[in-house]
Formats: sequence, structure tokens, C-alpha cells
Amino acid sequence: MTAARPKAGASGFDQLFSGKEGDGLRVKTGIIELDEMLRGGFMPGDAVMLAGSAGTGKTTLALQYLVNGVKRGEPGIYVTFEELPDQIYRDAKNFGWDLRKLEEEDKFRVVCTSPSLLLESGEDSLLDDVLRDIQPRRLVIDSLSHLEMFVKKDDMRMEAYRVVRYLKTRGVSSVLLWESPQISGGSFSITDVGLSFLVDCIVALKPVEIESSMRKALVILKMRGSDHDKRLREYEITPVGIKIESAFTNYEGIISGSPRKVASEKFMDLFRGASEKRK
Amino acid sequence: MSGSEILSTLLGSEVRGDLLVLFHRNPGLIDTVDGVARRIGRTTIAVISEVRELLVLGVLKQKRIGASEVVFLDRAKDRELLESVANHLKTVRIGGEK
Repeated sequence: MTAARPKAGASGFDQLFSGKEGDGLRVKTGIIELDEMLRGGFMPGDAVMLAGSAGTGKTTLALQYLVNGVKRGEPGIYVTFEELPDQIYRDAKNFGWDLRKLEEEDKFRVVCTSPSLLLESGEDSLLDDVLRDIQPRRLVIDSLSHLEMFVKKDDMRMEAYRVVRYLKTRGVSSVLLWESPQISGGSFSITDVGLSFLVDCIVALKPVEIESSMRKALVILKMRGSDHDKRLREYEITPVGIKIESAFTNYEGIISGSPRKVASEKFMDLFRGASEKRK
Repeated sequence: MSGSEILSTLLGSEVRGDLLVLFHRNPGLIDTVDGVARRIGRTTIAVISEVRELLVLGVLKQKRIGASEVVFLDRAKDRELLESVANHLKTVRIGGEK
């Protein structure tokens, strides 16, 4: 992604002459295991929904994605509707990410505003100046759920579509956070306003209770135009960010909220129990 | 404008001080005057004239977004003004030591 890539943020014309589409390059998250799951990373210019309930690490994962982008020479913007930037700077520092320093170097921006202002657009968009200033390759919106407070449910999909298209036109790869109280059931319905169809990729984060302890699961529910790992992987929030572990191979029903050991594992448990009794 | 004039404008009132702290801690804040007032726990009426002072000084900039006017920190101008203030304070300190 570092060589001969199109400039982003200033104009859609850059993409037109850059041969970006279909060039096979990926937007790496910088989290090795997640990039493996994504077969190299997100597709360039894609809109990714990062869905999960409170405390699942959406903000941490999103910041990690941006900071790793900066390390690869790809400036990033974090748009927040809820937390003030000073709180984000503080929290990021706990993971070893000095966002203020990155801002001073014009590689990163935290934009704090109201969702209604992001939606109000005349000739100028709220993000025009900052996109022009740092020419970002990556942008995070924390969170798309906040737009719901300012638009009617029926208009939500259209407004979200406008935001997604605004970023795509500028060649910016976006990660849109979504507060989903629960991701469960066979339909994998993430939002009730049909946003899942607008985005190109959906990464879901979910807390799961297994053997009386809370663990966290990550799954890629959708990735347009690419193969991806379909397995549920366990992850942890460590002092240096998100760390993805192995798949929950011995359990089923994790997404539905009722994890149980798969039949073969139950059989193995019985077998182990019987052989121990014999000893 | 001299360093001492800038300093007295910046610290001209408590509300102005609150606004400066808010924008320095959160340089990426873009909001309406109403929204900014809410973020420092003040009313729009209490804040509006203070925001105007900071706009005149150039620390804040204004922009129309749809039907709303928003204010935000001019990072370059802010750096420039802080340098002037720092230089002024150095002069005062040296003068004081003499």
C-alpha cells in the first residue's frame, strides 16, 4: 500500500487516473491475525462496519487500525461524536499510541463534532478542510449509531449512504463503528435500519460466556469481492491493543448466545472421564 | 498586536479561559456556538461574545455548514499567538530578574 498509491481526500479525479480499482492492494489493519482473516486486509476504499456492544473494544480496534496506517505512511482521521478528543488521546496513550504527536506531524486528526453537522452539507462539507489538510487514506466514524438520534429511521439508510459515498468518492477507506446491543440469531442482523447492505465488509465483536467466564469473539460476517476467514476467533484487549487468538473450534452456538461444546468434544470429555476412572 | 495585548485578550474573562482550555485540549473540535457552550457547561448567551473576541483575535475560525455556523481552532494562528505570548513572557521574566 505504500508505493504508487493514489492520493486521497482531495479529489475523486486522483482515483480516476491512478488505476486504483482492481490493483489487488489491501488496506492492512496491522493486526497480523486479522489481516490473515481478511486475506491480506480490507479492500481499498471499502466501507467497513465494525459492530459490537459496549466494552467489546471497537474504539481500540479502530484506533489501532488508524495508528498502524500512519506507520505505513497512510494518514488517518478519527471522527468522534461522543467522547471529546482529550479523552481519546488519554485512552490511546495507555496503549502506547501518542495521537497528539501524530497530529503535530500532520499524519492524524481527531475531529470532534455533532452528527447533525456531519449530515448538514451545503457547498462545504464539515470534513472538506481536514481531508484537504492531511490527505487521509483511512477514516473512522465513532459511531454511525449516533446519526440515528438526528434522522428519522426511514431516512437513516439514505443519510448513511451519503456519508459512505462521500468517503468512497475521495478514495478513503472507512471504518464505521456501530453499537449493536446484541448480535445473535441465524439471520446475523446487525442493524435494524438495513445498513448492513450499504457497507462492503462487516466485522462483528461479541462477548460470549463460556464455562462461567466472559470471553470475546470476532467474526467477519461479510466481505464483498473477497474470500475471508469464516471462523469465530477469540480476541483479547491487551496493553498494546487487540490481540487475536485461535478459533473457537470446540464450541458451537456462540453467535446465538448459547455456546456448547461440539458433539465430538463432548464424546472426548466422556472418554477422558472414563479412562481417568479406570486409573 | 503585542504579546501583552494578546495575553490580556486571551485571559480577558473566565469564559474565554474555559473556551481556550476546551479548544487546546480538543483541537479537532468543530461545533456550533451552542454546542461549544454546552461542552463547557455555559449558556449560549454567556459564550457568544467571548467566541467573537477569539474570532477577532484569529484563534478561532468560523465556517458555514449547511444552515449552521461552526467554530473551530485555527491551529497555525494559535501556534503563532502562543509563540508571541511565550516571547512576551520571556521578556517580562528577564526584565523582572534585572
